[in-house]
Amino acid sequence: MNNRFTSKRFLVIDDQPTARDALRTIAQTVGAFSVEFATNYQDALYRIRNNTPDIILCDYMLGDGRSGQQLLEELRRFELLADETVFMMVTGEQSYEQVVSAVELVPDDYIIKPFSPDKLLLRLERILAKKAFFAAYYREKRRQEFERALAILEAKRDSEAARPYRFEILRQRAEIMLAKGDSQAAETAYRAILEAGEFPWARAGVARSLEHQDRLTEARAEIDRVVASTPHYFDAADVKARICMAQGEPEEAQKVLDEVAKKTPRNYLRKRLLAEAATLNGDTATAQAAMADVLANDTMPGAIQPEDKLALARSQVNSGDKISAERTLVGMRESEVQNLTLDGQASFAALMTIAAPERGKAKFAGLRPALISAALDNTARLDVTYAALGLGDHELADHQAHYLMASDEAKKIFGSARKLYALHGREKDFREIQKQVALRRIHHD
Amino acid sequence: MKALDLLASGIHDAKNQLFSAESLIAAAEAQHGIDLGEALFAIQSAAGRLNQTLAAYRQLRHEIRIALIPTVIDDLCEEVALDQRHHLAAGNIRLELDCHAPDAWPVDRELLTDMLNNAVQNAARHARSCVRLSCGEDAEGLWLCVEDDGPGFAHIPPSSGTGLLLAASLAEMHKRHGRQGRLELANDSALGGARFTLRLP
Repeated sequence: MNNRFTSKRFLVIDDQPTARDALRTIAQTVGAFSVEFATNYQDALYRIRNNTPDIILCDYMLGDGRSGQQLLEELRRFELLADETVFMMVTGEQSYEQVVSAVELVPDDYIIKPFSPDKLLLRLERILAKKAFFAAYYREKRRQEFERALAILEAKRDSEAARPYRFEILRQRAEIMLAKGDSQAAETAYRAILEAGEFPWARAGVARSLEHQDRLTEARAEIDRVVASTPHYFDAADVKARICMAQGEPEEAQKVLDEVAKKTPRNYLRKRLLAEAATLNGDTATAQAAMADVLANDTMPGAIQPEDKLALARSQVNSGDKISAERTLVGMRESEVQNLTLDGQASFAALMTIAAPERGKAKFAGLRPALISAALDNTARLDVTYAALGLGDHELADHQAHYLMASDEAKKIFGSARKLYALHGREKDFREIQKQVALRRIHHD
Repeated sequence: MKALDLLASGIHDAKNQLFSAESLIAAAEAQHGIDLGEALFAIQSAAGRLNQTLAAYRQLRHEIRIALIPTVIDDLCEEVALDQRHHLAAGNIRLELDCHAPDAWPVDRELLTDMLNNAVQNAARHARSCVRLSCGEDAEGLWLCVEDDGPGFAHIPPSSGTGLLLAASLAEMHKRHGRQGRLELANDSALGGARFTLRLP
């Protein structure tokens, strides 16, 4: 019995009862006193949120279209899993190694069945040593003190104790650089990792860094390479889709996401991205189906945002189903609507005006001065343009169109904006706006 | 379903069942204070054989891919020793460990572990009293070596052995900066017998 693990709280996540028992037995053999079970994905989330265990042993296959990898990613994204908690993936599939070697979000370690208690013990001891090594760094990272976190890594980097962790240090460094917005330094850091080995996650890191620098063609070349060589690295498909959208190629974005979303039917962040791509692509049916799925099935607490409901209403408006759009908007809670940002309020009023003019017009008119003077995001600007064109308010529509065409995302939303003008027989006016923006840009340069 | 998927899923299920057996044996050991190490070893060996069979099949079909994972080589050797030591001791063979590679290296961790386990078992079959597993880093890269004090390989290169063929192709699949890994087989061990060395860039 090992005293070190006696006081630790273990959580075993596995949908198969015999496998669960086996894991518990092994955990008890290494000295675990407290071993809890989770029998499925939701149960695991609930237990981790309410009473975070010290050590999680999670089977890779959780059934019901879910994997341990998806659980891990969702836990990290919603910040439900502190860096201090041990997450060990357990799997009978040697092919999980292909996943771990590719993806960005990895467990502390993985272990392939069958394994002896001694082996698990050895692995857990090593993870605890790693956690101790990075303890000060984790603290600063959590406080978002990025400079201090980087300084800690730099100071430890060349020490003898750091030798087992050299890749982990390089990886953390690159991630922090990207998180603090220094995408050039992040690019250099990821390229340095690629010098040591062709890691798909590092190449995807280069692509993300280039994307942030608006070097889209180069970013696209890098991410194309990753997607082609590692089809099971699903996050790379998301990165590719974002880049394609920014390049004004929503068909390609949707194609990539469609394929991956079929393999990960319960990844709702991806479904949202798919809806965005489909909307830009004019595929209103796909956008609507994806957002309806998100709203019905994304049970992660706090995951559904008012923006999701606006996205559903947008897809309904775009497909001409004004009655459903109105129902979606009316269905939003009063408090939810009141707490919307100005962007959200603009979209809400605009979409309502399109879906049910008699219901939305007054609010839309009330917002008009703000819509002229404020800096809105591009999604809101597109909604406002749509509503204003319908009302015959050329001044408001053209004002938004100017900003849309002058923005960094002009390529991304160009097709959608042009279509709106065409819908109202104003293609010529749109071309004129486009020309003016281009001329102004030349004068500035 | 592809033949490979069918095979892989069968092996996956079998390994899950082996794991259930392993956990029951480990629990019985703890409960009754008995040593069932040979039973545990038989389970590990069976799992190793299944892995090797799948890897060999993949290789035949040219569908084998390596997955680079930063791995601390000293730790990997320690785990091989953990899997093998008990069984070797039962046959009166001593397993020596001499590891000097404390850094993380990008290698295919599971394939490499299977290859080393296989090499140690082979060596133990021919050894008189001792097998040595050693590793280190030099200007060329990383090396991992399994030696014994037996009569040595009868032929070099040996005429058969899926394990050795797999090890050679695994080594070659590790590539870096235009160089690739290789397998060296020789009868020049300091222990007097065969020497199996994997060199990875």
